[in-house]
Amino acid sequence: MATRGASQKSPASPERTPPTRFGEDNLLWAAWLYYEEGLTQAEIAERMGVSRPSINAYLADARTRGIVSIEIEPDRFRALTLTQAMQDHFGLSDCFVIPSDGHDRPLIDRLGAAAAQVLARMTKSGDTIAVTWGRTMLAMANSVEAGALTDVRVIQATGGTTAKIPWTPEACTSRLAENLGARCIPLSAPAIVSAPEMRDLLLREPVLAEQMEALSEADRIVLGISSLRPESTIHTSGFFDGISIRDHYHSAVGSIAGRMIAANGARVDGPLERRTIGMDLDMIRNVPERMAVAGGMDKVQAILAALRGGYVTALVTDADTARAVLTSEGYEDRPRRRSDATPATLPERTRVKKFLNRPRDAVDEAIAGALLAHENLLAPIEGAPRAIRALHGPRKGKVGVVIGGGSGHEPGFLGYVGRGLADAVAVGNIFASPPPDPILAATLAADGGAGVLHIFGNFSGDLMNFEMAAEMAKDRGVAVRTVVTTDDIASAPVDTRSARRGVAGNVFVFKVAGAASDRMLPLDQCAELTLRAAERCFTMGVALEPGVSVDTGVPSFRMGPDEMEIGVGVHGEPGIMRSSVKSADETADLIVDRILNEMNPSDGAEVALLVNSLGSTPQLELYILNRRLRQRLRARGVTVHMTLLGHCYTSLDMAGVSITLMQLDAELKSLLGHPCESPAWTVANV
Amino acid sequence: MPCFTRSDLTTLFHAFAARMADERTFLGELDGEIGDADHGVAMANGFDAAAQALLRAEGSGQGLAGGFNLAAQELLNAVGATTGPLYASALTRAGEVFGEVASVPLARLPELVIAICEGVERRGQGKPGDKTMLDAWGPAAHVAARGLNASVGPVVLLREAAQAAAKGAEDTRAMMAARGRAARLGPRSIGHLDPGAVSAAALMDVLAEWARHHEEIA
Repeated sequence: MATRGASQKSPASPERTPPTRFGEDNLLWAAWLYYEEGLTQAEIAERMGVSRPSINAYLADARTRGIVSIEIEPDRFRALTLTQAMQDHFGLSDCFVIPSDGHDRPLIDRLGAAAAQVLARMTKSGDTIAVTWGRTMLAMANSVEAGALTDVRVIQATGGTTAKIPWTPEACTSRLAENLGARCIPLSAPAIVSAPEMRDLLLREPVLAEQMEALSEADRIVLGISSLRPESTIHTSGFFDGISIRDHYHSAVGSIAGRMIAANGARVDGPLERRTIGMDLDMIRNVPERMAVAGGMDKVQAILAALRGGYVTALVTDADTARAVLTSEGYEDRPRRRSDATPATLPERTRVKKFLNRPRDAVDEAIAGALLAHENLLAPIEGAPRAIRALHGPRKGKVGVVIGGGSGHEPGFLGYVGRGLADAVAVGNIFASPPPDPILAATLAADGGAGVLHIFGNFSGDLMNFEMAAEMAKDRGVAVRTVVTTDDIASAPVDTRSARRGVAGNVFVFKVAGAASDRMLPLDQCAELTLRAAERCFTMGVALEPGVSVDTGVPSFRMGPDEMEIGVGVHGEPGIMRSSVKSADETADLIVDRILNEMNPSDGAEVALLVNSLGSTPQLELYILNRRLRQRLRARGVTVHMTLLGHCYTSLDMAGVSITLMQLDAELKSLLGHPCESPAWTVANV
Repeated sequence: MPCFTRSDLTTLFHAFAARMADERTFLGELDGEIGDADHGVAMANGFDAAAQALLRAEGSGQGLAGGFNLAAQELLNAVGATTGPLYASALTRAGEVFGEVASVPLARLPELVIAICEGVERRGQGKPGDKTMLDAWGPAAHVAARGLNASVGPVVLLREAAQAAAKGAEDTRAMMAARGRAARLGPRSIGHLDPGAVSAAALMDVLAEWARHHEEIA
C-alpha cells in the first residue's frame, strides 16, 4: 500500500487514526478496510492499532448489525480506492476519478470540467503548456477559468487539421489560452503534409522552427487519448484520408497527438509518421508533466496503452473507465470475499448429480426419448436426426412454421411442435444453434407450398445458421420469411431493441405464428402477425443458482451464496447486475417495474403472462411470485387475459425465474386462444 | 522440398483436435465468464469430428480443397453455434486458396492463416477490436502476409504468427465486446479474455508446432 503520498495531507499519522469521515466508528472503518480495500484482518489490526481478534469481532458485529449490507460504496469512497490503485499500478503522480453517473451531462463535458479545475490549480506563472486536440480538450478549454497568472504560454502540440470539426488543434489552443489569460502560440503548418520532403522543408522555415522550439520547452502537456474504434472522432479529422489503417496501422489501438500506439504502448510506425508535423511520442515523454484526459468504455484499450507506454503522469477519467482499465490489468475491484466471508450461508453450488450416460450423447438420447414420449404428436424427419416434425402439422397450402435453437431449454423447442403450433424444429447441441442442415431438413418437411416462416431468438449463432439454411431453402424454391425474437429487456437498452436476446417470450410468439398458419393465412400475413407478437413481448429473468453444464457437471458460472443475478440470460449470460438475494415480492416488483416501464400499458390494457421456471425453481415459488405480479398488474389497471406458469423455457437446471408480458389486441387474443396440441402446450377445441 | 499433402491435413487436424480436447475445460471456464460456457465443448467436438472425417476419407483420391471442404462441413454439422459457421467459412476459404491439388509446397502453409482470417471475416463481419477470434487471427494473418512477401521460411513465419495470435488474444482483455454473445455485457466484458481468440491462438500454436515437427522429420 502506498499510503505515504496521501499521508502528507492528513495531520496525524494515518496508520493509527481513523479517517475523519468514519468518525469514531471503528466497525465501519474496519468493514471498509476489509471489504473495500481488501486488507487482511491482520493488516487491519495493525492499521487500527487493535488486536486481530478485535477485528474479527468488529467484522462479525458489522455484519450482524447490517453495516455491511448497507453498501459502503458511495462513489466517493470507491473513487478513492480506484485513484489509489491507478496511482500504484501505473506509477502516476496524480489521478482524478470523477463519478461515472452524471445524470444528463455528457461524460466528455464533465471530464473537461474536471480537467479544467485540475489544470487551473496546477498552472503557475511562467509555465508553457502544450495542448492536443479533440472533443475532450475543447470541453476542458471551454471551462477553464483564469487565475491571477502571468507569462503563461499555451502552445499547439500538433499542426492543424481539417476545419470540418469544431475541436481542431487551433480551436483548442486558442480557447485555452484565452480562458487562461495566456499567450497563444499556434503551430503554423498542417498536422499532415503530403510528403516527407514537404515536412522537412517546412520545419526549416524560421517561424515553424521557432514554434517547435517553444514546444520543446513545454513544462506540461494536456492530451486527449483517441481510440481507433470505428466510432472514434479521429476518423473524421482527416488524419487517415487516403491511408489504409488495415495495411499500415493494424496493430494500433489508440492515438495521442495523432501518433499511433499499440496495446503495449509501443509506437506504431506507418506512412504518416514522416509526414506529421507536431510533437512526436519521444518529445511528449520528455515533457515533465503529462496530463491525459479521457474516459468512456470505448477508450479503455487506448487509455491502457497510453498508460503502459508511459506517456501519462496524471490522468483525469471516470470511475467506470478506471475500473475497467484496472480490471484489464487483473485488479479486482470488489474482493470476492465480500460474499464468500458472510457467515452461516449455504455453500456455493459446486457439483451436481445428473442422470446421464455419456454426456456427448445427451442430446441425441433426449431426442429419442422425446419422440417416444410424444409419439402421437411428433415424428422424426428421415435423414436428419436433429430435425423433428409435427405428425399432424404440415399440410398442403399451409405456411410452414419452423423453430429451433440449442438444447437445454426443454420443453423448448420441440415441446412447441404440433398442430396449431410449429410444424418442425431443428435441435442444436446444448445452448448452441443447430447447423444449417437440420434447419433445412425441418424447412423442407414443413413446406406445404405456401412458404415457410423461421422463428428463433436473437443470437449470433442462430442468425448465421438460419440465414445459411434459408439461402439453401430458397435455392430449392422454398420461400422463407424470418422473425427474430428480441424480448429480453435486460440484454440491451430500449433504443437498441434489435440487439436484445430472444428468450421465453418465444413461447407466445410460436403460438401466434402456429395459429395464424393453422388458419391458412398467407406467408406475409403470418410473418406480420408473428412480428407483431414478438414486438409486444417483454421478458426479464433473475437467477438464484447457475445451471450445471451437462458436459462437465459443474456450474457454468459462479454465483456467491447470497447473490442473485438480475437480468440473467437464458444461457446463464450475466445480466444487469448482481445483488443480494431478495424476497419473492421484492423480486416480482423489480421485474414488473422494469417491464411496465418499457411497455407503458394504458389503463385497461390486456396482457398474456408467462411465469417461467428457468429449471430448478419449483412451481410453489412460481405461484408465490405470480400472486405478487397480479397484485401489481391490477394496481396498474392491467388485465391478465391468460397465464402460463411452469417449466416453459428453461436453462438446464438453473434456479431462477423469467417473467414475460405480451401486450394483447383482439387479433393476438384470438390467435392465442386458437386450438393447438403439442407436448408442452395444448389449447382444447371448445 | 517439403510439401503439405492431403494426408498431412489429416494429421494437422488430429493435432488441432487433441489440443482442443486439452483446452476444453479452460475454454469452457473462460466462456462461462462472459458467455454460455460451451466454447470448449464446441471446439473440441467440432475439430474431433473434422479430424475423424478426414481420416475416413483418406485414400479416396481427395485433394486439399476436398479435404478442407469436408472438414468445414463436418465441423459445421457437429457444432452449429457461431463457431461452426465461422470456422466452416474459414476452411472453405482455405480450400479455395489451395485448390483441388494433391499437395502444395510447405512454404505456402502460412497462406492457411490468411485464408482462415479472410473466411472468418467474410462470415462474421467483425472488425479488429470487437473482442472476437478475429483479434487473434487478424494479427497472425498480418504477420503471415508480411513474411510471405519477405520470403521468410514457413516454420519461422508460423511461429511468429502464433506469437502475434497469442498477443492478440491477451489484448482482448482490455476490449469491450462488440460482437457475439458477450457484446450484450457491454462494459462488463472488459477484463475477460475472449474465449474465441484464446482458442484461435491455441490453434495457431498447434499449426506452428506441427510445421516445425513436419520440417524436422522431412
